[in-house]
Amino acid sequence: MTNGLVLALIGAALAALLAGIGSAKGVSLVGEAASGVVSVDPSKFSKVLLLELLPGTQGLYGLIAAMFILIKTNVLSGNAADLTVQQGLAFLAASLPIAVVGLISGIMQGRTAAAGVSITAKKPDHNGKAIIMAAMVETYAILALLISVLMILNIAV
Amino acid sequence: MNGTKYANAVGAVRAMENTLLGKSDMDQLINARSKAEVNSIIASKNGGGAKSEDLEDVWNMLREYAPDCKELEILLYRNDFHNLKAVLKAIISNRDPQQYYISPSNVELSVLTEAINSKEYDALPEYMRDAAAEAYELVTRTLDGQLSDSLIDTAALKAMQKSAEKFGGEFMQQYAKLTTVCSDIKTAYRCCLLNKSSQFMETAVCGSEELEKSELIKAALSGTEGFFGFLETTDYANAAALLKDSAAQYEKWCDDVIMELADGARSQAFGSDPLAAYYIAKETEIKNLRILSVCKEFGADKETITERMRKLYV
Repeated sequence: MTNGLVLALIGAALAALLAGIGSAKGVSLVGEAASGVVSVDPSKFSKVLLLELLPGTQGLYGLIAAMFILIKTNVLSGNAADLTVQQGLAFLAASLPIAVVGLISGIMQGRTAAAGVSITAKKPDHNGKAIIMAAMVETYAILALLISVLMILNIAV
Repeated sequence: MNGTKYANAVGAVRAMENTLLGKSDMDQLINARSKAEVNSIIASKNGGGAKSEDLEDVWNMLREYAPDCKELEILLYRNDFHNLKAVLKAIISNRDPQQYYISPSNVELSVLTEAINSKEYDALPEYMRDAAAEAYELVTRTLDGQLSDSLIDTAALKAMQKSAEKFGGEFMQQYAKLTTVCSDIKTAYRCCLLNKSSQFMETAVCGSEELEKSELIKAALSGTEGFFGFLETTDYANAAALLKDSAAQYEKWCDDVIMELADGARSQAFGSDPLAAYYIAKETEIKNLRILSVCKEFGADKETITERMRKLYV
């Protein structure tokens, strides 16, 4: 295994790890707020569940970016490419947008969705507004994923 | 991630807020012809939450949800110190303090009674120890219940300010300040009407950043004209005008300013402020229901009842 491949794998790990942490933190925060509502009014479970799911997407984006790196470097086929240090660094750099933005946006989306739980608790008919506000944060995670994927796909191996 | 540890509690409180009585419910209650109709309106709203007449249930529920109650406990300081007064009086007059005890409280009656009886003040929370020892010494030495009560009331306000500064955020600090101001104006005015000495006022008036103790005492010593003249130069000119007209209107103003403060927490998604605001809202709701009940009993007209109703949270 070359140093370049190690760097590429570090990149894949960071994408899955940091974005996953962001999602876990975000989902747990919304889960806490949602549990508070459901403990008093169980009929609101389905409405608050939608909000809880939103910060979970960053973890999936991290997974997608990591999978692209693993496919591109042939690690999944068992015939890993001999990457130079420059190529490895390129994969590492390509993983950073979704890793960092996934971490931060997951946490921030969790905060927004947890605040939206209050809207759902008090005015269930306005649940859609709470979802839209939380979904706005998602935009930046999608943009980061797009950049990460474009970079990964265009690294010559 | 400031205040996110309260996310679960805030979620629960937001759901519980739906059981609070709103303006239309209050209008219905005021227009209700019978007690049965009043009870049915209250029951229809409170099916999912705590019983409206039992503030202790609300407190227990908040304590269950809140990860840290240190700040919220400040809301009960007034009850704690009231109970201290009750126990002292009961001990002096050899009566059962249970009938004067109000709940919820941070200190159980048995603990309070035992601490005073045995003079083991360390069993009490830190904020009560000095006041309990001093009040006991004062009341046993002078047998002046009024002076001892004043000492305890002032100690309660000081404890609120100190704890709010130590544990509380801006909301609780403001709550402590407003409670102190409302109480100080009322106390100073009474002292003024009863021609109390400056020595008594030194014990009875707490003072705050908003209204300095020395200035308030000086104004109260100068007579009612001077007292109201002084208040008109402060931010509390409106309160002074109400107090001049009617003590009941002033009391309503005091409750309303606290509710306006609580209203600010309605838009907060995190932190302990929404919990404190809910407690205040419930306390006010119970007060409104008591006023309504008394007014109905004495056959007061709708306008009189509406005039006396405190501002609502929802």
